[in-house]
Amino acid sequence: MKIVVAIKQVPSLADEVELNAEGTNLDFDAVDFVLNEWDEQAIEQAVLVKEAGSGAVTVIGVDATGELDGVLHTALAKGADAVAKVAGEFEPGLTSHAQARLLSSAIIDMAPDLVLTGVQAPDDLDGQLGPMLAALMDLPYVGVVNSVQVSGRTATVHKEYAGGLMAEFSVQLPAVIGIQAASQPPRYAPVSKVRQLAKTATIEEIETAEDELESGLSVRSMTRPVSVGHADMIAGDAKAVAGRIIAILNERGLI
Amino acid sequence: MLTLAEEIAFILLVVVLGGLTAVGFRGIATLVRSGRAAPPREDVPRRLMSALIDVGLQRPIFKARPVLSTFHAFIFFGFSFYFLVNVADLFEGFIPGFALAYGAGGAAGPFLGGVANLFNLVADILSVLTLVGMIAFLVRRFGMKDKRLSFNDGVLLHPGVQAGGVRRDSAIVGTFIMLHVGSRFLGQTLRLAETGKADPFMPFASLTSLAFGGLSASALSLGIHVTWWTAIGLIVCFLPYFVFSKHIHLMVAPLNLGLIKPGPRGLLDPAVPKGAPDDMAPGAAQLQDLGWPRLLDAYACIMCNRCQEVCPAHGSGRPLSPAALEVNKRYLFNHHFTSLAKGEQADIPLLAMAISPEAVWSCTTCYACVRVCPVGNEPMADIVDIRRRMIYDTAEIDSGIQGALEGIGKNGNWFGKVARTRARWAKDAGVPIKDATKEPVEYLWFVGDTASFDQRVVPLTQKVARVLSHAGVDFGILNNEERNAGNDVRRVGEEGLFEMLVEQNMKAFGKAQFKQIITTDPHSLNTLRNEYPQFGAEYPVHHYTAVLLELLEAGKLQVTEKLGRYLATYHDPCYLGRYNQGYEPPRRLLELAGMRFAEMPRNRENSYCCGAGGGQIWLGSAPAGERPAESRIREALETLSPITGDAEQLLFVVSCPKDVVMYTDAVKTSGNEGKIVVRDIIEVLEEALGLTEPAGLPDTAQVPV
Amino acid sequence: MSNDILVIAEHLDGKVADISYEMTGKARELAAALGGKVTVALLGQGMAGQAGGFASDATLVIDDPALANFNPEAYGRVIAALIAARAPRLTMLGSTSSGMDLTAWLAVRSSLPCVASVNQLAAEGDELRISSQIYGGKVAAQVSPEGGRAVVAVMAGAFPAAAGRGAGPVEQSASPVSLDGLRVTFSKLIRPEAGDIDITTYDKLVSVGRGIGGQENIELAQELAGALGAALSGSRPIIDAGWLPKTRQVGKSGLSVKPKLYLMLGISGAPEHLEGMKDAELILAVNSDPKAPIFDVAHYGSTCDLFEVTEALLEALG
Repeated sequence: MKIVVAIKQVPSLADEVELNAEGTNLDFDAVDFVLNEWDEQAIEQAVLVKEAGSGAVTVIGVDATGELDGVLHTALAKGADAVAKVAGEFEPGLTSHAQARLLSSAIIDMAPDLVLTGVQAPDDLDGQLGPMLAALMDLPYVGVVNSVQVSGRTATVHKEYAGGLMAEFSVQLPAVIGIQAASQPPRYAPVSKVRQLAKTATIEEIETAEDELESGLSVRSMTRPVSVGHADMIAGDAKAVAGRIIAILNERGLI
Repeated sequence: MLTLAEEIAFILLVVVLGGLTAVGFRGIATLVRSGRAAPPREDVPRRLMSALIDVGLQRPIFKARPVLSTFHAFIFFGFSFYFLVNVADLFEGFIPGFALAYGAGGAAGPFLGGVANLFNLVADILSVLTLVGMIAFLVRRFGMKDKRLSFNDGVLLHPGVQAGGVRRDSAIVGTFIMLHVGSRFLGQTLRLAETGKADPFMPFASLTSLAFGGLSASALSLGIHVTWWTAIGLIVCFLPYFVFSKHIHLMVAPLNLGLIKPGPRGLLDPAVPKGAPDDMAPGAAQLQDLGWPRLLDAYACIMCNRCQEVCPAHGSGRPLSPAALEVNKRYLFNHHFTSLAKGEQADIPLLAMAISPEAVWSCTTCYACVRVCPVGNEPMADIVDIRRRMIYDTAEIDSGIQGALEGIGKNGNWFGKVARTRARWAKDAGVPIKDATKEPVEYLWFVGDTASFDQRVVPLTQKVARVLSHAGVDFGILNNEERNAGNDVRRVGEEGLFEMLVEQNMKAFGKAQFKQIITTDPHSLNTLRNEYPQFGAEYPVHHYTAVLLELLEAGKLQVTEKLGRYLATYHDPCYLGRYNQGYEPPRRLLELAGMRFAEMPRNRENSYCCGAGGGQIWLGSAPAGERPAESRIREALETLSPITGDAEQLLFVVSCPKDVVMYTDAVKTSGNEGKIVVRDIIEVLEEALGLTEPAGLPDTAQVPV
Repeated sequence: MSNDILVIAEHLDGKVADISYEMTGKARELAAALGGKVTVALLGQGMAGQAGGFASDATLVIDDPALANFNPEAYGRVIAALIAARAPRLTMLGSTSSGMDLTAWLAVRSSLPCVASVNQLAAEGDELRISSQIYGGKVAAQVSPEGGRAVVAVMAGAFPAAAGRGAGPVEQSASPVSLDGLRVTFSKLIRPEAGDIDITTYDKLVSVGRGIGGQENIELAQELAGALGAALSGSRPIIDAGWLPKTRQVGKSGLSVKPKLYLMLGISGAPEHLEGMKDAELILAVNSDPKAPIFDVAHYGSTCDLFEVTEALLEALG
């Protein structure tokens, strides 16, 4: 069975994000890029599916940052069997549409049985990658999935709803699944292995003729959200803060 | 003396059994060489010679257990001398008319006679001492059943060991020594009985010979023949067994000591040998993945369990025994000897057969086992290598360790804080702290994770800053560019992450201008001092205790108040003490501070680990049982309580950020709050220097844990 | 192109979800500005009874056994056909588990622009102005669809539900497309396992997020919860890491809670989390990042170290 995981790098939100001078997107020179955390879950789920049955996992992304290789080596260290990237000159801030078009034309040639991707990403302004891939490749899609089991030509998936409710679907393969969480927390990617793979592994570069990369949206501006209200910030050290919290709770009869 | 038939029989025996033994030794050499390459041993002849001298003086064994070591010395000296005795006995057997002086007569001339007499005197005394030593060992093992020779529950043991193999081997070796030495001694007794005279140079044999005075000449002659065979013939018969017995330590131990790894204690061997192919997996999964010195270790091991006795994991009831690891290795060698001796690769997975995963993750890398080993074994190095492969194969990684490694990989620290908050402590240190990446400084202060982020330690870090500043020391920090130094990352087995951290820190060093490094963290100190030079970062690295002492001695800091009201003891952190011999500066500082001081029984080289090292502090769940830090607090109280006198406060003084955390916690969990207070040396010193504290900064002892 | 607005109503477990009314209310306002009509599409089986409650110009009930439970493929086909037939100016779906399966898919299928995580919508002149929360709520993007039409996913709670309730006329219709040969089949609903506590019944919750650092620190938070008589809950990363059971998850893919006290430790306030707790009566947030979005929602906040505060609270509470 051929499993393909489509991934993308996104700006790290651990640090404060800076906007560019025009105010139309982030200042991509000032951000660190990390693997989208839902894609990390998708990679884990793919490796789990492989381990539960058989097959091979290929992880593929568009290198818009010049730093995708490290992510791909990490995927190999976690158990992916092959990695690939869409070749071309790309800039950070590629839209989901662009990613979906580039990736779908590369993935379709791989004739996958199962395509996994993160259910969402923090930069999904123009929609999520998974449903777009499904639409472009004419494959069924189920997202917000936290468990995938494959038996024969059918995948049984659990989709999460609000309130802890879940639905079970069976999906005929090939299909695209948007992963919310893998059935186990993602495994550790040993840096020892990542560094070794950086020396020994090959990353397949895939050319595509895709040039329709517009999302159909015009971004007028990006701003920090205007907050309707703001918390009353308690000053002082931890003791002072704790004291104030206790006072507030007392006032409201909560303790 | 021997009959022709006896001579032929003996020669045949030597040829057959000696040949068999030679094949065995060749097999061992092949087997040891099948291990992975290790850093080259330099200056081997000189090191071997000095190892022989050490062994000759029995130095390595007297590091611990003085009484048993004395008995061992008896046997050792006896056996060493018996090499000559055996040669002399062979001559007596094969050269007609050759006889040592018996009854102070028979030998030619006064000179030779004198030599023979001296020889006899030494042999006589050492025979008895050997027998005494051996009896003591046998009584201890089989009579008193010394529990130091047994293992904790849950320790993985080879089936052969479980079936009492070590006891049987010990019984065989013991019996052999008793028979061999006893026979020889009995033979000498009978010879004296034959002469009918006492020999002043053979006092013990003369005494025992009195009992055989009544025997007939033929009975005595028969006795002499029989004892010759049970002394000398027995050795030849024993030789092939020697290859499989722990007794081989008498040859391998000096060799192992001579081939001990070069370089400082705090420098680990690389995870893959230098020059290995790029795709070689680091560390060890199979027995033969270990470096050859680790394989040799198993042959040097005499299974004395001293390493286990000093192991903090063993002491807290965990299923780790460094001794069991070596013993298992040895039994696995014996079990697979035929194929290994041919140089084949055998399927011997370490985690299934030599040591359990839980044991692997119990090691604090405190170095006590290596330090105490009388034969130069390094079981800790095996464990690190096994961890390396476990991490590489992502097999059985504890969730806490995984979290710490991920955090360090992402943010450079294991506190889950983003990198840009690393120097936040410096903002309210009360003194300006230079950014060494922006302006040149004399000392670069490498702060470390715990001192930067742990809220119990941050006030101490700030105190250090104030004292250094007060003394006019020109220092700065790397600010948010500093990363975890990687000491414990490496010891957890994440060699790749360690290398990445070295690269990141060296990049930061490159941006800064400084001459020396100072740190409060012994773990950082160890890797910066001993391992970073291998990557090209060569700077003098000092612990803050050494720098503070220098400042006091140079008069840049002055004690204004003697702290006689405290009675203190001091805990040597493993990575400052045992690894880097930083024993004296902390003690001198306490002395200068004028406090009453008493050493705990386990101090300096024998210091007992707090239990945090080697990644233990990251483990997700704390195992049950008395933790090492609690045992240490008990030891401190046992030391100080009886001599409290008019001391107002008992202090447990530490000089390592992790110790502050571990022991503050241990005082509480062991229910000793109010009896003893944990203090970092900087707090003691600040008080003695009369440096008043800015208001509002909490005292560590009062910060709840 | 019409100026009509198509709202895709959502129901779960037989009940129309609030998001449907929230979207309808907003759609009314936009339709009035643009001069169009609001059509609510309610796909399902046996849902007609609830179809009359929308403030719509028309509520289209599409009844089919294949639509009884949400099925992304079946729903996708039907809605794509509606979009093709009606060419609405704006198609609104919820930014929910089911809406997220469809929005981008429909956009690609219909060759329309798509906007995710929408929390503001306005018509300025003839132009649609859409605001989306991206980068974990740290950035607001203001966009306009080129060509004027769009498919959008609307965040739950972004608009009031009341404005969408009414009594619009109901039209019944069969599925406009064949629902045979579906490759996705709904099997069953799986209800949360009982056995753990029900955090929605607690007056007080202590909730932990990524800032808690490691599993070993959960115990400390539990201790604080105990001292306050509160239950311990967490944000998605804590549940995904397995540090707390799924039953303790607050937020979009977890539970919605409305306790009297919601004390948050190390939660930055991603929109998915805010969705589940913003209606709590008193929200206290301790988070080291002063710019964390949570401080826009919390009533009181502190940037002190959460461990220090927790310890100080424990000490104060005895």
